[in-house]
Amino acid sequence: MLCFPTLSCRGSGDPGRLIFSGSAVGREAEVVRSQLARWSAERGVEVEIRATPDSADQRHQLYVQWLNARSPEPDVLQLDVVWTPEFAAAGWLLPLDRFGPDLADFFPASIEANRWNGALYGLPWFVDVGMLYWRTDLLARAPATFDELAAAARDAMRSPGVRFGLVWQGARYEGLVTVFLEHLGGFGGRILDDNGAVVVDSEASVRALTWMRDAIHVDGIVPAAALTWHEEETRFAFQNGAAAMMRNWPYAHALLESADSAVAGRFAVAAMPAVRGAGEPTAALGGSQLAVNARSRRPDEAWALVEFLTAPEQMLERARVVGQLPPRPALYEQGEGLEGALGIAPEAAREIVAAAKPRPATPVYTQLSEILQIRLHRALTRQQEPRAALEDAAREMRALLERTGLAGGGRLRSHAG
Amino acid sequence: MMGRLAVKQESRAALALVSPAIAVIALVAIAPMVWTLWESLHLHDLRMPWLGQPFVGLDNYAAALGDARFRGALLHTGGFVLASVSLELALGLVFALAMSRARRGRALIRVVVLLSWAVPTVVAALVWRFMFEGDSGIVPAALRAAGAIPPGFSFFVDPLAAWIPIVVADAWKMTPFVALLLLAGLESIEPALYDAARMDGAGPWRQFREITLPLLRPALLVAILFRALDAFRVFDVIYVLTGGGPGTSTEPIALYIFNTLLQHLRFGYGSALSVIVFLGTFVLALAYIRLLGRSLLEERTA
Repeated sequence: MLCFPTLSCRGSGDPGRLIFSGSAVGREAEVVRSQLARWSAERGVEVEIRATPDSADQRHQLYVQWLNARSPEPDVLQLDVVWTPEFAAAGWLLPLDRFGPDLADFFPASIEANRWNGALYGLPWFVDVGMLYWRTDLLARAPATFDELAAAARDAMRSPGVRFGLVWQGARYEGLVTVFLEHLGGFGGRILDDNGAVVVDSEASVRALTWMRDAIHVDGIVPAAALTWHEEETRFAFQNGAAAMMRNWPYAHALLESADSAVAGRFAVAAMPAVRGAGEPTAALGGSQLAVNARSRRPDEAWALVEFLTAPEQMLERARVVGQLPPRPALYEQGEGLEGALGIAPEAAREIVAAAKPRPATPVYTQLSEILQIRLHRALTRQQEPRAALEDAAREMRALLERTGLAGGGRLRSHAG
Repeated sequence: MMGRLAVKQESRAALALVSPAIAVIALVAIAPMVWTLWESLHLHDLRMPWLGQPFVGLDNYAAALGDARFRGALLHTGGFVLASVSLELALGLVFALAMSRARRGRALIRVVVLLSWAVPTVVAALVWRFMFEGDSGIVPAALRAAGAIPPGFSFFVDPLAAWIPIVVADAWKMTPFVALLLLAGLESIEPALYDAARMDGAGPWRQFREITLPLLRPALLVAILFRALDAFRVFDVIYVLTGGGPGTSTEPIALYIFNTLLQHLRFGYGSALSVIVFLGTFVLALAYIRLLGRSLLEERTA
């Protein structure tokens, strides 16, 4: 067993106290704190928040170190949607089926993302989906196809001050993979097939990546600088009025409607475009799950907390305060109180979430993703042709699955879409 | 008899006195190295506990030799060392010559020159990042205005141009250090030599070539050694400026090992990479120090 100098390897103090770990900044932290306090009072169990870094990579690293050291803490963990298979395969999460969870009221895809080898390891807490933000004063309607998008972008760029037709997250990080996934779905391609085999070098993939590259270097509708941008840089560009369209997550909506936004009241949200007859409008499914540490000393209490936090009432509160989409379709019904909270009609939001595609469910997702990030970035910065980049990515991904004993699909659960 | 006993006692006392130092070195330097070596012979993937931790012999080393990203990282590191060290030496020499000529306010000049060196690297790199940023940075804006780059050009998106902010930021920060080292060398040169040369009719360029450069050689060699070893381990400037991108085209060896060990948590493979780099640096440093020692010796006998 490996002990890290920054961690204590001793078991921790008070076994009566439940440790909850997740993001704890800003208004989100306030909601979490008040909800935990409510549960604590009702249940008579003390809960402590163990703050983790806001950056997903760093939180992941910390979790791996804790769980690998067989720490019984934290009891309840907030997991990114792509981590569940990894942690489940490592034996770090408690299978939740024994508690008889009621899954009927969740989006099927968000439950699927929490399964590994048939067992359930987490409950969806909130969902994130990639969406197309577009300027209602520049475009007549949201583009339904990529051709329409390109034409609308060129058109909009003739207006003074509109320097960019479309902006998305093009830096070499997980965000780029979600953007690619959405273009890929629109062109009818996939990363892994139902058997877990790598199919990211298909013709549809090459077309999708070529479109993305040409949008920058041939059509000039996406700025080259976007290849260093994350979510916030794209939001700044859109919020300043410099971009006609933007691909981003739901969080941007409330900020774009704020007082210091140049586009407040002049934009709308739609699903990403697709090639007619080949693909379908695709949103990458993101978001957070709640899971229970397999070594928790109080699994029953931990489960009770997960159940409480994922109950409709708590989800609605989160949605209203922080604008995060609830993973329960019924909450988007009229009269549930989501009108105006999401900045997008609840019905439209539900449609986008319902069609959202999960990323490949595999314990080596982060490694697969990094291979793809590098190759996509090489193609988009014209160091490699899209076809060669995707063939290299596919070869490296297959080698990784081979090396880790996950090739052949036997242990790979098929994923929706 | 007495003498031998005394020597024996003395060496025993000496051993007792140095043993804490040896113990500390063994603990903080040798033990981690042995541990790393041992790790490098295992498959140890923290993220894939189901694979276990089997002994795999030299498999990790074989994999490293076939790893294009590792070879690329070595190449990038070598290129960075060459470019940054030669630029810093050239600029540092100019600064040192200027400083040694200054008649007034020498202390002030030295403090001012050292300022950029005192700025934490991460902070300096961030400032340079803002200055080179594709859409808003002042460097691309100025170059665009002068017509030197096309409108959409971004330094951090071009695999070759991305090196420019890196080398510039590193030179900006490290040149003062080189200049001070060389200044110390310049000050140790006997002024009478220049007087004699002038008397013999040697011009400034001749004086520089025949007196300054040869007598400055030890200082130059020390500066090269320090800077080259430092540049070989480059991490923070690149981590902040490009993160190794676009793609992996500016990824140096230290960043690749950091990614392997701390992002991917591949301890076995990462350890093998570390061992290879350690051996490489060790051999280079050893060769260089022998070279340096010989040249210093020649100076003295000459």
